[in-house]
Amino acid sequence: MRGMVSVAPRTIRFTLNGVAAECVVAPHETLVEVLRDRFALGGARESCGQGLCGCCTVLVDSLAVSGCLYLAVFADGAELVTVEGLADGDALHPVQEAFIEAGAFQCGFCTPGFVLMTTRLLADYPDPGDDQIRHYLSGNLCRCGAYPQIIEAVKLAARKLRAG
Amino acid sequence: MTAFELVEPSSLGEALGLLDPDDPAVRPIAGGTALILMIKTGLYQPRRLVSLRALGPALTKISAAADGGLIIGAMVRLTQTERSVLVREVAPVVADALLTHSNIRVRNVATVGGNLAHGDPHMDLPPLLIALGASVRAAGPGGERDIPVEELITGYMATVLGNDELIVALHIPPQTGRRTAYAKITARTADDWPALGIAASIGAAEVRIAIGAATEIPMRLKQTEALLAGRRIDDALLREAGRCAAAEAPVIGDQHGSAAYKRVLVEVHLRRALQKALAL
Amino acid sequence: MSDSRPISSGQIGRSLPRVEARAKVTGRAEYIHNLRLPGMLWAKIARSTVPHGRIRHIDTSTAQATPGVHAVITGEDILRVIPDPYFGPAFHDQPILALGKIRFAGEPVAVVLAEDPRIAEAAAQEVSIDYEELPAVLDEVEALTATTFVHDALKPAGMFADLKHLAGKRDTNVALDYHLRRGDVDRAFAEADHVFEHVFRTPQQMHTPLEPHCAIAEATPAGVTVHSSTQTPSSVRVEIARLLGLPENRVRVRTAFLGGGFGAKVYVKIEALAVALSLLARRPVKIALTMEEQFFTISKHGSTFRIKSAVTKDGRITARRCEVIYNGGAYADIGPRVAQKSGFSAAGPYDIANVSIDSCETYTNRPTAGALRGFGIPQLVWAYESHTDLIARELGLDPVEFRRRNLLKDGLPQATGTMLEDTATVAVLDRLVQRIGWGQPFDRGTGTLRRGRGVAIGLKASISPTTSVATIAVAADGSATLYCGTVDMGQGSTTALAQIAAEALGIAAEAVRVVTPDTDVTPYDMGTLGSRSTFHMGHAVRRAAEEVNAKLAAMAAETGLPDGSNLPIAELFRRKYGMQAGTIVGSGSFVPDYAPPDQATGLTPNATPYWMMGGSGAEVEIDTETGQVRVLRLINVADAGTPINPRIVETQLTGAAIMQLGFTLSEEMVFADGQLCNPSLADYKIPGIRDMPEVLAGETVAARQKSGPYGAKGVGETGTFGVSPAIANAIHDAVGVRLTELPITAEAVYRALRRAKGDPLPEE
Repeated sequence: MRGMVSVAPRTIRFTLNGVAAECVVAPHETLVEVLRDRFALGGARESCGQGLCGCCTVLVDSLAVSGCLYLAVFADGAELVTVEGLADGDALHPVQEAFIEAGAFQCGFCTPGFVLMTTRLLADYPDPGDDQIRHYLSGNLCRCGAYPQIIEAVKLAARKLRAG
Repeated sequence: MTAFELVEPSSLGEALGLLDPDDPAVRPIAGGTALILMIKTGLYQPRRLVSLRALGPALTKISAAADGGLIIGAMVRLTQTERSVLVREVAPVVADALLTHSNIRVRNVATVGGNLAHGDPHMDLPPLLIALGASVRAAGPGGERDIPVEELITGYMATVLGNDELIVALHIPPQTGRRTAYAKITARTADDWPALGIAASIGAAEVRIAIGAATEIPMRLKQTEALLAGRRIDDALLREAGRCAAAEAPVIGDQHGSAAYKRVLVEVHLRRALQKALAL
Repeated sequence: MSDSRPISSGQIGRSLPRVEARAKVTGRAEYIHNLRLPGMLWAKIARSTVPHGRIRHIDTSTAQATPGVHAVITGEDILRVIPDPYFGPAFHDQPILALGKIRFAGEPVAVVLAEDPRIAEAAAQEVSIDYEELPAVLDEVEALTATTFVHDALKPAGMFADLKHLAGKRDTNVALDYHLRRGDVDRAFAEADHVFEHVFRTPQQMHTPLEPHCAIAEATPAGVTVHSSTQTPSSVRVEIARLLGLPENRVRVRTAFLGGGFGAKVYVKIEALAVALSLLARRPVKIALTMEEQFFTISKHGSTFRIKSAVTKDGRITARRCEVIYNGGAYADIGPRVAQKSGFSAAGPYDIANVSIDSCETYTNRPTAGALRGFGIPQLVWAYESHTDLIARELGLDPVEFRRRNLLKDGLPQATGTMLEDTATVAVLDRLVQRIGWGQPFDRGTGTLRRGRGVAIGLKASISPTTSVATIAVAADGSATLYCGTVDMGQGSTTALAQIAAEALGIAAEAVRVVTPDTDVTPYDMGTLGSRSTFHMGHAVRRAAEEVNAKLAAMAAETGLPDGSNLPIAELFRRKYGMQAGTIVGSGSFVPDYAPPDQATGLTPNATPYWMMGGSGAEVEIDTETGQVRVLRLINVADAGTPINPRIVETQLTGAAIMQLGFTLSEEMVFADGQLCNPSLADYKIPGIRDMPEVLAGETVAARQKSGPYGAKGVGETGTFGVSPAIANAIHDAVGVRLTELPITAEAVYRALRRAKGDPLPEE
């Protein structure tokens, strides 16, 4: 056994989908684990475990991160948004609407990641071209291969957002 | 992952004091994208991680250097770098290379200092920065020292940095009169670690060529540089340079391709990188 | 069944968004991945590090002593709760945990249980296994003649009658060989104008569903509940009940939405282990594999296919000999069925009088291979459509014209002797040729960038014998609930089956609720596999709805309503029960006709309830200096009969094509000395959005499967058939070299170019 080290859990405080939240976490817990285990949020989900597939995408202070490679303690003081926080009550976010209308998913496991990434893509590029879409979403994998419909959905969402 | 201690010092001095020159189980953590992956896969088990996230604004800024070049704080994120007006002005090739370096979620978290200190031979920045003549400033218990990026990486995930030393900043000298191109070549899918990273930087009197990923460590190709130095680069010389680089580079075969094939990639893509630089 | 068919409510051919769309875009859709139960333990698996060996000793003491560890379980412990712990759909050859022998590197040997999965994982690393190593057999061709045997004797399961004769067979690595003999092949070759022979290979590959396999078992004295990411809840129930010696009704298997399946999640995978662990621990136990572990759980067969054809001067194929060897890995799984079913159509969609097929499933010391989106067919089409192009080129014939001259058409017997019926072979080829612009001039590139085009077509038999059962309950307010065991793993079955039920009931699809598979309530269905659900379950659902209609008509008559009354259903219930009360339940089942192949000739007049036909056309650009392949256009055309939901069918086609694009260009499980080198998405590269061709199309031809529900047939696999050979054919067209092995990496193309120049690149 190793020598005495302080691995004490600590309390972290943050905003989760617009609501103040806090929890006690150990340093080795990842953000995706904490969201699932402490807040019952399953929209961010670990798949490849290497930050390559995007299934565990979470927005931290408006930046998309891979929740499976992000220590939860680093979220102390941050504003966190998960896919569960996008809809306004019953009203879906325009990106979510666009994904439904374009049929931009099959099994749906990767969909929260793509939806969240698309919100950031459109914040950076309100009227993206194919190349910008492909580059921005290149770190999200869809094994069902819904890519053509995802590109369509991004463009549709862009039109919806521009139209207000 | 299993338990480890995380300390979050608020000054550089405090951080250096928490590192341990003799204990490899104590390491600094910046963005952590590479380190956490190593811990998760069991390649590394830390006893203590020293977070560099709260060391103050000096490490998170990009500023103009006195020599007309750039100073990029070690804790500057990769996306922050690629979007910086200053970087785009002084070294646009760095901003462009970062766009395909890794996915945007990684780039949102990974830092410039962490990327270089990690010493992974499959990264895009080391060969590019070598070609640009960049150096890092490292701080340790004995003070600060400047290390050319060319001398930083000594082996697979190994650097000249001591266990109790930290990169605090990256310095890119002014690039006036230089034309630099970088090519990342992937062999399997579009988003992959490179089979080859190759940078060609053409100055008034000399040319710097650096490669990574295909070799055990990023390095300059000095014979090829000598071949090109001071000469007008025409088609014949381009071809000769390609052949020279392919012969000179100590490439290694791996899942991205055999050594023989990587020599082909070096030959073709050095020529193309030079052509691209010439066209700038 | 009832003849009182309601007037069509227009549900067929509606591109309704998936009924679960909202749940999926909000992250609220249920996956077993997210399920946790009170008191649950996590199981983490310690795996073998040698490909073949005997276990001398397993030291669990360090793992056992790790704080937080509940228990460490080995194969010997499993025997306490399951005395005969061997499972498998075709052969009972796979131990729940290794017993005595190791048959592949990565085989589960021990399990650590803990409340914290991280502790279980770390402790699993501490399990130390001592082996006596044995020589390993890894290659499928070597497996045929090797003196190393993966299993001592064959142990076929009872499920498939035509495997029984293999029981007890010793000293062989051949799990199953299927033979088809039609006409006089030897004579046809002797008399042939031309004979062509080629060998094609494919590597072992993996499904990589983004939701890795997971299962939670809860064992109680009353029985066992398993929550699993399975594609086959009924078949898992049957197998778990057999292992435990329980009646089926004491085993409950339920699923949720699946984060992809593609064949990876058919039949028992980790469920038996979860059940055994729960029995031992007397607590719920969850196994959630990592992406890495999936590679050691199931894969797609590598294959070697030697194909030989006799052809006349004017381009008619008179004979074809096919020798297919599948690399099945350490355990049979469903591999024997893959070898047999794909064997039916190994000679391709061509009218050939003399055919000889030998299709063989081998055991090797590799991770197990099973079903992957096409059940062997993509491996076969890869070979026979590459071969087809090579013949056409040799004879100076246009590859499309050569295909037309030999194409099977409705009314002609396929190699098995089964007639082709409602199979749009001609329409698929015609449309493909039109969309890819075959025969029209195009930019062939200049300098170091060269372009070319290619096409390929494939044919597949569906699944039989097999059974689907569905029930529909209509509540007193007229709302309908469909109970069926079809699992929605992304293919859109929930939506399509709701549409079929609605059409038959004469209501809107939105008004039908589809219950998630749960063997406590949903009736038997063999499994969601082989593109069978639309056809087989579709029929069962239609029949269930027809029984509902008949009962409603009877109720109307009973309450004194005249024939043809259109009283709302809610009103009908009120007339009968005096209030909003009562339920009407209709059930339907479907078992397609099937005649097993003759043991000697492999022939059968009824190999399949329908044929699946698809093809692809590719336009590629090759960088001749590096071999880099860019697929510019990939057109995929299919006969899906009359699509129930055209939009979902289209996405099935493009999705399948993208998956097969990965199998074509980048995916390969790489082994060194029997050890898998790349079990992760970092090194096993599946296509991302930037790998997608600029133009990617999926479309269906106008067709109708008369025997199908509302003219429909299955389509989940069809988009995979032609992709690989279409790309290889296009590469040949562009730069004149032929690739015979997948994946077609840039290096492989470059090496072929150098070989063609007589200056091969050194191997190093």
